[in-house]
Amino acid sequence: MRGRVYKLIRDLHLYLGLFISPFVLVFAISVFFLVHSWLPRIFSETSTKRVISAWPLPGDWQTLSGRPLIDALKPALEKAGVRGEVGFVRHIVKEEKLIIPVTIPGRETTVTISIATREATIMTRETGLAEALVTLHKSPGQHGPGIRMNWFYMKAWRWMADATVYLILFISVSGIYLWYVLRAERWVGLILLFAGALSFFGMVYALIH
Amino acid sequence: MPSSTEPIGRDKSLKVPRFRAGFESWNRKLHFYAGLFLLFFMWLFALSGLVLNHPSWSFTEFWSNRKQTNYEHTLTALGPDVKGDLGQAHEIMSQLGIEGEILWTTTRTEANYFDFQVRRPGRFFFIKADLARKRVTVQQSDVNLWGVIRALHTFTGVQLDDPRNNRDWALTSLWAYSMDAVAAGLIVMILSSWYMWFELPQKRLPGAVVLGLGSLMCGLFCVGLRWLY
Repeated sequence: MRGRVYKLIRDLHLYLGLFISPFVLVFAISVFFLVHSWLPRIFSETSTKRVISAWPLPGDWQTLSGRPLIDALKPALEKAGVRGEVGFVRHIVKEEKLIIPVTIPGRETTVTISIATREATIMTRETGLAEALVTLHKSPGQHGPGIRMNWFYMKAWRWMADATVYLILFISVSGIYLWYVLRAERWVGLILLFAGALSFFGMVYALIH
Repeated sequence: MPSSTEPIGRDKSLKVPRFRAGFESWNRKLHFYAGLFLLFFMWLFALSGLVLNHPSWSFTEFWSNRKQTNYEHTLTALGPDVKGDLGQAHEIMSQLGIEGEILWTTTRTEANYFDFQVRRPGRFFFIKADLARKRVTVQQSDVNLWGVIRALHTFTGVQLDDPRNNRDWALTSLWAYSMDAVAAGLIVMILSSWYMWFELPQKRLPGAVVLGLGSLMCGLFCVGLRWLY
């Protein structure tokens, strides 16, 4: 029985670990970009601009805000071929403009609509893989919970990010079990576990107090 | 069946060259040694990542539950050797006995008025100094454990979209480099796990299927979406 449980845990540790390893790599690699505020530009950034006239604004858009406004603007965006996660929509009253940021990991599109003429300028910027990893690392994030995940793929990414956390917790606990079974490694492991705990709690204590 | 966590047996060590056997053994040790050392860091970043992705979880609310204290302090004149916003901020903080990472949130419009923030995980200081009157008012906000956990996840002292903010506290740098170390450790653990899996012929195919599936799903978000849309 014990042997069967051991084998099951060992296999789950292996296969679940292999499955989430690409996701963990995304989070781990993007840490370097976020911590050092630096993005490698492997390929030069490209941007394109196009103008669309007679942009169809929903009749009641001025009475809407937050998610309902995004939902009302989405059909026109999709018709114009602008797909992705819509960010904070800004209405610049003085200039009579509506600015809609739309993000796909690695691409940023800004749609600027002139309310008076209904002319929309669509600026698309291909920002590259590094920026895509950073976007994914920060998504959905802590800001704007009322409007976030308005694109199916971003909702799916949150499921994946959550699953990565739960699987990391499972893999770390199962890893502790698999290490503990190895009697020859118990002491070295315990020393390292203690050293890690000391480093972690020591640093956290110094930061807080 | 050979295991990724079992020591290499005598039979196997006879079949493989000594260098490779040594590498396999150390690769396996490195995998769980790194995992054990980084365990608490991994748990913190995993848990805080989950909390950050679910701002609607009311039990993790920290800002509305903060403890706020306001106080005023008299400043002694800033010396002529104190130059620039950063120098002045450090001097004011030293007179107040405050330590932390300086955050520039406002642009200085008048030479005598100086506003800035100081942050450390769990504590926010909003400092307003009137250099002409030599008075400084401090609004201090202390947040709960959830606030500390969130702050630890993002406490780097820099922001990609704001080049004005740089790390100016030694402990921020230490924490930022420890984030680097955790990330590097995770990458090493992943590479070592791939090697250990590949050394298990019976598990190569099912492992390749799950790794391929994970890579496909992850690749869809990293590069695929841009191709599709």
